[in-house]
Amino acid sequence: MLDHGGNLRAARQRFGGTDWIDLSTGINPHGYPAPAPAPDAWRRLPEPDPALVRAACDYYGAPQLLPVAGTQAAIQALPRLRAELAGPARVTVAAPSYAEHAHHWSRHGHVMRQVAYDALDGFVAASDVVVVVNPNNPTGATVAPATLLDWAARLAARGGWLVVDEAFGDTARLLSVAGHADRPGLIVLRSVGKFFGLAGLRLGFVGAETTLLAALDDLLGPWAVSGPAQDIASAALRDHGWQHATLDRLARDGARMRALLAGHGINSGVDAHGTPLFHWWAEPRAEAFHEHMARRAIWVRLFPGSARGIRIGLPGTESEWRRVEQALQQWNDT
Amino acid sequence: MLSGLPAPALALALVAGVLLDLWLGEARRWHPLVGFGRLASALERRLNRGRLRIVRGLLAWMLAVLPLSVLAWLACRDGGAAVHALLLYVGIGLRSLRDHTLPIHAALVGGDLDTARSLTARIVSRDTRQAGETDLAKAGAESLLENGNDAVFGTLFWFLVGGGAGVVLFRLANTLDAMWGYRNERFNLFGRVAARVDDVLNYVPARLTALAYVLLAERGRLRAWRCWRAQAPAWSSPNAGPVMASGAGALGVQLGGAAVYDGVTEARPPLGNGPDACADDILRAWRLVWRTTLLWVAVAGGALLLLDRVIHA
Repeated sequence: MLDHGGNLRAARQRFGGTDWIDLSTGINPHGYPAPAPAPDAWRRLPEPDPALVRAACDYYGAPQLLPVAGTQAAIQALPRLRAELAGPARVTVAAPSYAEHAHHWSRHGHVMRQVAYDALDGFVAASDVVVVVNPNNPTGATVAPATLLDWAARLAARGGWLVVDEAFGDTARLLSVAGHADRPGLIVLRSVGKFFGLAGLRLGFVGAETTLLAALDDLLGPWAVSGPAQDIASAALRDHGWQHATLDRLARDGARMRALLAGHGINSGVDAHGTPLFHWWAEPRAEAFHEHMARRAIWVRLFPGSARGIRIGLPGTESEWRRVEQALQQWNDT
Repeated sequence: MLSGLPAPALALALVAGVLLDLWLGEARRWHPLVGFGRLASALERRLNRGRLRIVRGLLAWMLAVLPLSVLAWLACRDGGAAVHALLLYVGIGLRSLRDHTLPIHAALVGGDLDTARSLTARIVSRDTRQAGETDLAKAGAESLLENGNDAVFGTLFWFLVGGGAGVVLFRLANTLDAMWGYRNERFNLFGRVAARVDDVLNYVPARLTALAYVLLAERGRLRAWRCWRAQAPAWSSPNAGPVMASGAGALGVQLGGAAVYDGVTEARPPLGNGPDACADDILRAWRLVWRTTLLWVAVAGGALLLLDRVIHA
């Protein structure tokens, strides 16, 4: 299995200490206050709830969606589904990016290659499937919706797929192509884990053509999403007041983090990249920085490979902000 | 036809050559290709030095291949269909392919991993010391699919084009590619001509073989065709790619992928899709090669007889 952020247990094991601040993911630290589940929620088998799908379609502006147990479930199932429907494919995955895509698209006989973001356009013609995370995790790079729709149309003309993972799309609504998810060949992944801070719920949505959604639903099997998850997500997706307040707050906190990093000369004065929920920079001393923060019980995400750098999420409280600032100050002093 | 034989005689020689191979198998005591290997090594030692390595490689290739091919052509001209058939027998390696791979299957089925490892080590260059059933089955099946092209179908193709001399030319060129066609320091320039000539000679036969694998696929022709389309371009060799991808797709198993060479694990692209290869897939790969041979002989024989009728109508 691949390594991911959010692994605080591993951090504790390696560095000891308590009172860790987990900034290793891009999950909203002020998650949606989940309502208590209905009294019969644990007893009943979770029937698919049309109200959840309606709420999600309204929120994402999508014509049709399939709830899944986290987009991870779809990320794993799509390569298998593709192999079953159309055999091995030539797959291009944007890089660097969320590693699970490349990991699973290199199975089932697919021929997978990873291509830098700005070179993607040249590879659409020679691909059956193109996978792009927009905005990208961890770099924050983005692709314009018009470009994505053009790629989707070119791929669909040959029976190909464009998979757009919009896990961090909530704070960049203008970039979303979820509204076009009924077009042939376009598959959009949305997550309630990040913006709503409900990663533990394991709930995400897939937008695509009806036939494809039905095939995916069939592959994933019944009761994929728990009843309490459906209830909580329905409430969160309909709570416009909370959503607006959160957008404002994340914009503020994101700007604050950007300023904080810039104030400490991170990335040699060039602005760090990212989204409001996380920032990323190419750090030449990535391992040292990671360890420096860990010794102060602050867990950031180290990217050791080709995307050599650091990703840092948002602190939740004022005292956490102060500890992060202090740690950055000490890093500068070393 | 460049063979100089009338079409029915060529068809007869074709069938006779294949039957001789199945009946007698590989010449055990004195195989002509062993002698040729010594000749090629001697040429390489003398010529693979100094400047102009590509030109020297070309010269060595011509010295190794052309005189023997001309001799074969002269012998065929004087000796008729019997000599054509004899040269096809010497050049084709169908029986030897079976004799080298089916014992691996038998050893694996019998649970004798050590024997299977040493048998596999004789036919592939990869490291088999730690290999498990999947690795060995994969190596055996891959070898059958790829050598089905080099040792059987490529030979048949050039026999149909140029008779016994065509077989000699193709097999010698193929052997030189196997000896010199490497991208390492020693052979990168010197072996360039040998590698390119083999690519050219194998271009059409490899695609006809891949097409036959698709047509004879047990588990879905569409899958074999899609594997060819998606996976062949990623494979390192332009001719082995279509052959192995369509063959793996025809068998409906997963070939390619990681393999160990000299203790280093090399990540190769995938071939085919489906479950991992198991011992029986060696047998299934052999059957695919066998049925492809029957298809080739039937189609070629039929076409030659038809051609004869058209000419004499």
